[in-house]
Amino acid sequence: MDFKIRAAKQEDCKEISRMIIELAVFEKMQDQVKISTQELERDGFCSNPLFECQVAEVSEEQKSSQGYTVVGYVLYYYTYSTWMGLTVFMEDLYVMPEYRGKGIGKGLMSKVAQVGKEKQCTRLQLAVLDWNTRSLDFYIMKGARDMTASEGWHALRFDGEALDKLAAEAPKD
Amino acid sequence: MDFSIRAANLEDCKDIARMIMELAEYEKVSEHVKVTQKDLEQDGFSKNPFFHGIVAEVPEAQRTKDGHVKIGYALYFLSYSSWKGRCVYMEDLYVMPEFRGKGIGKALMSKVAQLGMAAGCTQLNFTVLDWNKASLDFYAAQGCQRRDGRAGLPRHALRGGRSWSVWPSPERRLARYPW
Repeated sequence: MDFKIRAAKQEDCKEISRMIIELAVFEKMQDQVKISTQELERDGFCSNPLFECQVAEVSEEQKSSQGYTVVGYVLYYYTYSTWMGLTVFMEDLYVMPEYRGKGIGKGLMSKVAQVGKEKQCTRLQLAVLDWNTRSLDFYIMKGARDMTASEGWHALRFDGEALDKLAAEAPKD
Repeated sequence: MDFSIRAANLEDCKDIARMIMELAEYEKVSEHVKVTQKDLEQDGFSKNPFFHGIVAEVPEAQRTKDGHVKIGYALYFLSYSSWKGRCVYMEDLYVMPEFRGKGIGKALMSKVAQLGMAAGCTQLNFTVLDWNKASLDFYAAQGCQRRDGRAGLPRHALRGGRSWSVWPSPERRLARYPW
């Protein structure tokens, strides 16, 4: 199958939003998606974007049953390690089910690695749900290290009321 | 104890680099620290910085025996959730040992939360090693959730870097003592 990987444009946000929902459905968390297409456009395509995105596109002849030619995406951003410096974090990697197994996911991920290396990143990081053994196996097979299993890192989060409360306790300037 | 929390500036990079190394030396993994003071200056204080810092400072009368008044820091950056939008990630939270237990760590963390919310963030994320029970208990007492294992979504943090030339092997990253 022929496909092209290219940097996302602002006009792609509608398709990216669609696929974000599709991925959330796959992760059984669709009720958690609060972001809108407008927010993606604002945050990804301003003068100082908070993320970058690559999309996978097929030709018109290969469009999906619903007429989509943008069939996958990867959303990523840059983070900082006080030990190693700049890192790229792959937030989402998704290919529509009927286009899987054709190297598109691998193409998207490799593109993120390439873009990251061009920016002098020394790491590419991501998070995977532990029941998603197929994805875990894929990434491990590609050379990723499981930092939770090997070093015991755990992800913590403040949100909602806990975040409000914490912020309210900040010392005055 | 009197202390102040403020945004880090370029001149603070020397002390931030010192504190990053202090912790790494204590953990006997200082050889894994590749970031220099110059890297911090370049990466944190350019037109489009990759991170932001806040420092905790005490008055001269309370300086350390080595003469330091900058005795803690937090380093954070904005990240993105495709579900929730803007997030803040706290990469480091550190207070020099003799200044712990005085609310400085909590104040630094609260400031990160406040600044993140002011920037439109709805989450503050960070990671902690599973054997660092004191930190895990502290954060749980503050109301945060574990996004892996027992509470929340089970997730595994992955890192890929085998093909990259500066990847140290095998890296052993140990806990940051928060306060």
